[in-house]
Amino acid sequence: MSSATVGTPRGPQWTSTGRPPGLGRLLRTVGLTAGALVVIAPVMWAALSSFKTTSELSRRPPALLPQTFSFENYGEALGSFDFTTYLINSVIVTIAATLLTLAINTMAAYALAKYNFRGRDGLFLLTLATIMIPLQVILLPVYEVVSSLGLVNSLLGLIIPAAATPTGVFVLRQYMLTIPDDLIEAARIDGAGEFAIFRRVVLPLCVPALAVVTIFSVIWRWNDFLWPLVVAQDESVYTLPVALARLNSQQVIPFNLVLAMSVLSIVPVVIMFLLLQRHIVTGIAQTGLK
Amino acid sequence: MSGSVADGAPAGVRSGAGRSRHRRRGSPKSRGQRWAPYLFIAPNLAIFLLFVIWPALNGFNISLYDSTNGRTFTWAGLDNYRDVVTDEDFVAVVGHTLVFVVCFVVLVTATSIGLSVVLDAQRRGRAVFRAAYFLPVLLSPIVVGVIWNWALDRQVGLVNTLLDLVGLGRPGWLVESSLAMACTIFVGIWIHLGFYSIILLAGLQGIDPSLYEAARLDGATAWQRFRHLTLPLLRPTTLVVVILATINGFQSFDFIYTLTGGGPVGGTTLIVQFIYERAFESPIRYGLASAAGVMLFTVVFAVTALNYLVGRRSEAI
Repeated sequence: MSSATVGTPRGPQWTSTGRPPGLGRLLRTVGLTAGALVVIAPVMWAALSSFKTTSELSRRPPALLPQTFSFENYGEALGSFDFTTYLINSVIVTIAATLLTLAINTMAAYALAKYNFRGRDGLFLLTLATIMIPLQVILLPVYEVVSSLGLVNSLLGLIIPAAATPTGVFVLRQYMLTIPDDLIEAARIDGAGEFAIFRRVVLPLCVPALAVVTIFSVIWRWNDFLWPLVVAQDESVYTLPVALARLNSQQVIPFNLVLAMSVLSIVPVVIMFLLLQRHIVTGIAQTGLK
Repeated sequence: MSGSVADGAPAGVRSGAGRSRHRRRGSPKSRGQRWAPYLFIAPNLAIFLLFVIWPALNGFNISLYDSTNGRTFTWAGLDNYRDVVTDEDFVAVVGHTLVFVVCFVVLVTATSIGLSVVLDAQRRGRAVFRAAYFLPVLLSPIVVGVIWNWALDRQVGLVNTLLDLVGLGRPGWLVESSLAMACTIFVGIWIHLGFYSIILLAGLQGIDPSLYEAARLDGATAWQRFRHLTLPLLRPTTLVVVILATINGFQSFDFIYTLTGGGPVGGTTLIVQFIYERAFESPIRYGLASAAGVMLFTVVFAVTALNYLVGRRSEAI
């Protein structure tokens, strides 16, 4: 990683103006490639090794590629430890929480961006301030609330509390500010109701911001750990990360199965990222996160 | 964040103009229009109040009580705060947290700036590189911890296997305390680098290219252009990254849980793990954990506000 960055400020790199000499360009590409390898290598290593047999995994020194690609670990992981339950729980929580987040965040953002009402600025500042309150800090009192609502050990307890993400409201509000008021006013004159305007005029214009919020909501919920660790005390409501951490720390299951589960848990988010990735940079650029 | 606050100003002006135009036409707001914002904001606000605002206030309240089971509470006043600051474990944990946060914030900010500048300059394969560096952002911190714990294993790890090949021996990465802390910082950077770089990349792409053209015509070297153009113009974005990194740094827990488990002998236990263990592992000290939580929030809030104010002021100068 250091090789990618330490030498770089000196290199000619301002392609936004003119063309750097060949040597600088070469150095830059080599540096970027080296850095990218540091980032990707451990993950690729884990992915490749998940196809190794148990005896191959314990061999020293380890071989780069598995001798034969065996799906043994995957079969075993899927067949034991209720892996399917954890997977289904993770999928349900991620999808439901993301849909809920999108629904309530966009509505709140629309109110904050496009209406004048008493208390608006106060509510917006409150939203900004709570970005700073990490869940870890209020973990116990939130647990109290969830527990008094009887939501401990239920998927709803995993879905609802995290749904009102302040970051999502912030990103969407910043984006909605760029939508011209005249558009909304014109729809009103045409007799459209407030909710119809929101749904048919505003939402279709917010696709990049919606993509950003979707991506991050899926990443956050799929990978959530601390909150599910606290709420999901019963194995039947474990999500993948909770199951992984619990099983890994107990050292009761062989490492090859932990590896297979880890790799399986990576696949869905990577696919989603590849589908939505072109929205990420433009989305971040346009949503005022910068 | 500074950029966003600035963005807010014209918006207020704009909607204000909309309202006066409305008034000029003489049509008062319809009933639907008057109630709509409250209905729109209600669901989000309800969840927000119930699961964030109320608990935040309540957390302060709990920190003034003593409880070993989370059901019965006895008044303790400031005892929990006294107990926590005199707790030897807590003092050690605060030390580790400070070392971690300072190293993490400084290194990850510098690395992200470097990476974003290089990525911005790179034309060929930029999308591929961008995706590659973003990969760790997608991973569960738990999985990251599992993977790096294994990669750094003294005997069968990828890192030591490679080092051994070139004759550098087999350091006990996660066995020695200071090395384990260094590895924890490294993995923290590894996780967040991609996201911060993309934020900075968005900032870089907002810089007017003609400024570089002018500097080039004036004979500025690449380093001078970086030092006197890029860095100052990137400052608002850098501020966002520093603030995010500070918050994320103080919150670090998940990946450490599976990377080192907080070990060796507590050497990489940070404050969130301390809070978690006091609250949910026996002997349970609920109030004490809450007191530590309140202190963490106060510190994070203060540091963020400080970052913001210092960032704003240096911008003004």
